[in-house]
Amino acid sequence: MIVGKQKPFEEIWDMIKNFKKVLVFGCNTCVAICHAGGGKEAEILASMLRMKAYQEGVEMEVKHVAIERHCEPEFFEPVMDYVRASDLVLSLACGVGVNFLSERIGNIPVYPGVNTEFYGAVPKAGIFTELCGGCGNCILHLTGGICPVVRCAKSLMNGPCGGTNNGKCEISQDVDCAWFLILERMKKLGTLENLSDIKPPRDWSTGLYGGPRRIVLEHIAESGEQEERKEP
Amino acid sequence: MISTVGIDPARLDMYNLSAAMGPKWAEICTEFTERIRKLGPSPIWLALHRQSGLRRGEEK
Repeated sequence: MIVGKQKPFEEIWDMIKNFKKVLVFGCNTCVAICHAGGGKEAEILASMLRMKAYQEGVEMEVKHVAIERHCEPEFFEPVMDYVRASDLVLSLACGVGVNFLSERIGNIPVYPGVNTEFYGAVPKAGIFTELCGGCGNCILHLTGGICPVVRCAKSLMNGPCGGTNNGKCEISQDVDCAWFLILERMKKLGTLENLSDIKPPRDWSTGLYGGPRRIVLEHIAESGEQEERKEP
Repeated sequence: MISTVGIDPARLDMYNLSAAMGPKWAEICTEFTERIRKLGPSPIWLALHRQSGLRRGEEK
């Protein structure tokens, strides 16, 4: 899932303090799981903003609402009239949601209330760890299911660097050395020898370095267009 | 969290009671009311009344 962290309250207040009608807009999928931007967090933040506005003597109406997802258009439809009644939407969705809503809302600004952090998992309640970089060129079958692109601080492709230290990374004793994990895992799987294979240089253009990415499933996109044409 | 917006965390508490614990509930309410009285008006109350020009004890 996408892991996010709510921005510091003072930063949010500085962003919104000059608007009269603010809607705090939560997303009940990924950012709700990480307690940053779901309906519950939207309600709490709206309440905090009202308290702040009272104390600062700022006249501001703050409402809140949440939908299941901010990354698909059909979820917006039932609430868009309500959303458009605001001067500002403070989105608690990930950056995808802020972009997606900005393209659809017309002349109303959409500001981010959450810092989108990474793709991660929840090993334990309240702990979120980055496990995938969305690089567009997965090699997990070659590395024992452990990603060196995102879990190695240097994204090394050919084994650990000199900074590996008893299974930990030189950047922090709290960070595992990804290549130590890879080697241990591949030993257990009996595939360690595969690391001796010479690999060509990695193509990094499939990731963030090749411009915005787009995937089109033509068979689905085409049938969607046909359905749209049928509608009166 | 509420201290972020200038509210003393002592103004908030949580109790877990069953519906059969009436006397305990009354005791908690009495103690809590006393605590809030000692703390005085909340910053929100003061701000709202400052804006409306009302003093403590006055109603709109």
